[in-house]
Amino acid sequence: MNALVPTRDGVRRFLSAYAIVAVLAAVFLLAVLISDAFLQPKYLFNVIRQIAPVGIAAVGVTFVMILGGVDLSIGAIISLSAVVSAVLMNGEAANLPMAIGVTCLVGMAAGAFNGIVLAFSRVSPFILTLATGIAILGITQIFSGGTARGIVSPGFREFFNYRIEGIVPVLSLAFLAAVLVGVLIQKRTLFGQYVFLTGSNRRAAILSGIPVRGVTIMAYTLSGLFGALGGLALLARSGVSSTMSGQGLEFQILAAIVLGGTTFEGGRGGVVGTLAGVLVLVIAFNIVNISGLPYHLQMVVMGLIIIAASAMYGQINARSQ
Amino acid sequence: MAVGTLRPRLGAGQSGIWLILAAGFGFALLFLPDFRTFENLANILRQSAVLGLIAIGQTFVILLGMIDLSVGMIAGLVVVLSCWLLDIYPALTLPVAAAMIMLGMAIGVVNGSLVRWLKLHPLILTFGMLSVLQGLIFTFTDRSVGRASDALQQLANGELFGVPLSAILLLLLVLLTQAILSRTHFGFHLLAAGGNPDSARKAGINAGGLQVTAFAIAGGFAAAGGLVLAGRLGTGYPLAGTGLELDSIVAVVLGGAALGGGRGSIVNTLAGVLALTLVSNLLNLFGVSAFVQMFAKGAIVVVAILANQPRRAAR
Repeated sequence: MNALVPTRDGVRRFLSAYAIVAVLAAVFLLAVLISDAFLQPKYLFNVIRQIAPVGIAAVGVTFVMILGGVDLSIGAIISLSAVVSAVLMNGEAANLPMAIGVTCLVGMAAGAFNGIVLAFSRVSPFILTLATGIAILGITQIFSGGTARGIVSPGFREFFNYRIEGIVPVLSLAFLAAVLVGVLIQKRTLFGQYVFLTGSNRRAAILSGIPVRGVTIMAYTLSGLFGALGGLALLARSGVSSTMSGQGLEFQILAAIVLGGTTFEGGRGGVVGTLAGVLVLVIAFNIVNISGLPYHLQMVVMGLIIIAASAMYGQINARSQ
Repeated sequence: MAVGTLRPRLGAGQSGIWLILAAGFGFALLFLPDFRTFENLANILRQSAVLGLIAIGQTFVILLGMIDLSVGMIAGLVVVLSCWLLDIYPALTLPVAAAMIMLGMAIGVVNGSLVRWLKLHPLILTFGMLSVLQGLIFTFTDRSVGRASDALQQLANGELFGVPLSAILLLLLVLLTQAILSRTHFGFHLLAAGGNPDSARKAGINAGGLQVTAFAIAGGFAAAGGLVLAGRLGTGYPLAGTGLELDSIVAVVLGGAALGGGRGSIVNTLAGVLALTLVSNLLNLFGVSAFVQMFAKGAIVVVAILANQPRRAAR
C-alpha cells in the first residue's frame, strides 16, 4: 500500500487527535465574539490559573483512563491533600517542604490503594473509586472535624500567585509544567507505552509479558500524586482548606479528559488532548459567567459536554471501523 | 419450556444477604434495648422506603448489565419540584405526583434512547446526566423551597395498623416488580439480554427497546422515591438526592446482582436495602459520627463489590 494514501485507521486517528483542536478554536472564537477580554494576555493567563488545580489533577487521571480505568476518587483526594497540607504547614514557612512531601505521599497512598485493589480483582473501577472517594471524604472530615483547618505557610500563596511581568501567574506555569511532565511520561517512558498497550488490549498485553498489574498500580498511584499536586494548587489558589473544596472536581476532570479524546474504553488519547480539553472547559465556564447566565448552569454545560464529547468520539471511531 | 428452565436460576444460591440481614437483626434485637423499640423498627422501615423505591428501578438497569448514576438527581429534582408545586397547589397531590413520575420516566427515556442510538456507555451518559440535573436543580434553587402537601407527608410518615405506609407501598411494589421479572416475557427477555446480549439478539429479543424500558422504569421509580423523600423532609431541599445513586447501586450489589447483568432479583435487592439501613441505624444507635459513617459506607461498598466480583477469568 502506498504510505501516502490515507487509510481508514489513519483518518480515524487524525479525526480523534485533531477534533479537540477544532473545538478549542471554535470555543475560543465564540468567547472572543462575546467579550474581547479573551484577547488580553492577563485575562487568558488568569483563566489558566483558575483551572490549574483541575488541570494538574487531570494529567494524572489521563493515564488511568488510557489504561481503560477511571478515578472518581480524585475530587476527594484533592480535598484531602488540601486539608493535610494546610494542617502540616501550620502557618510556618519552615514546615513547607515537609508538608508538600507528606501531602504527595498521602495522595500516592490513596491512589495506590485504588490501583492495588483493581490490579488484583475484577471490580469495576467506576464503582470502586466512587466508593473510595466517599471513604476518603469521610477520612478528610474525621481529620478536619468538618470545618476548615490548618494555616497556610507564609510565602506559599504569595509565590504561586505572583505574576511574572505582572501578567503570568506562577500557578499557571505550574500547570503547564505538570502537562509537560505528563507528556514526557507518556512519550518517553516504558510505562507510558505499557499504559497504551494495556489499555488497547489487556489480554494481548498480559500475553506479551507486560506487567499489567504493576502498570495498573503505577497509573493509579500517579493519579493520586497529581491529585495531591492539584490539592496543593487549590490551596495556593484559594488559601482555604475546606473539606469540601475538591468536591465535584472529578466531574470537571473527567469532562476535560473525555473532551480531549481519551475515551472510557482506553487505549487512546493523551495528555496534550487533556490540556486542550481543560482549556475548552474553562473557556466554556467563563462564557457562562461573562454572559450573565446563572453560575450553576456551569454544571449543566459540563454534563452536556461529557455526553456530547463521548458521543462525538464514539461516532468517529464507529464510522471509520 | 424455556421459561421453566430459566426460573430456578433466579433465586439459586443468593440467599446469603438474607442470612446476613437476619443475623444482624437478631444480634441487634438481642443485645440493644434501644433497637427493639417499636418506634425504631418502624423508623428503619420508613428509612428504607426511599432507597428501596430507587433501588427497584436500579435493579432493572443493572440486570441489563448497565448502570444509572442519574437516579439520585432525578429524586432530588422531584423533591424540589414537587414541594415547589405543592406549595402553590396544595390540593393537587395526585396530579403533581403523576406528573413527577412521568418526568422521571421521561428522563429515563432520554437516558435509554441516548444509550441505544448513540451507543454511549451507560456509565458515562448517566454521569453526564447527573451533572446536568444537578446543575438544573441548583439553577432552580440553592435553598429549600416550598412545602410538601399533607397527603405526601402522610404517605411518607403515616401508619396503617402501626406499619408505616411507605413500607407497605415499598413491599407491594417489590412484589409487583418481582412478579414482572419472574413471570412475564419482559422479565425473561431482560434477564436473557443481560446475561448474554449476543444470544439474546440472535433469539430475536429487542435489546434496544429493553434498554429504553429499563431506564424509563429506573427514572419512574427514582421519581417515586423522590416523592416519598419530599414527604419525609417536608420541604424541597436541593441536596436531597445527593449520593442516592451510589446507595442504590450498593443495595443492588449487596442483593447479589451481578454488575455485568443477567443475575439478580428485586426481593434480594430489598434485603440489600434493609441491610444498608440497618447498618446506618446501628451506627446511629452507637453514636458514631456522620463522618465515620461516611467512611464506613465507602468501606462497606469496597468490601461488598470485592466479595461479589465476577468469577469469570480475565477478558
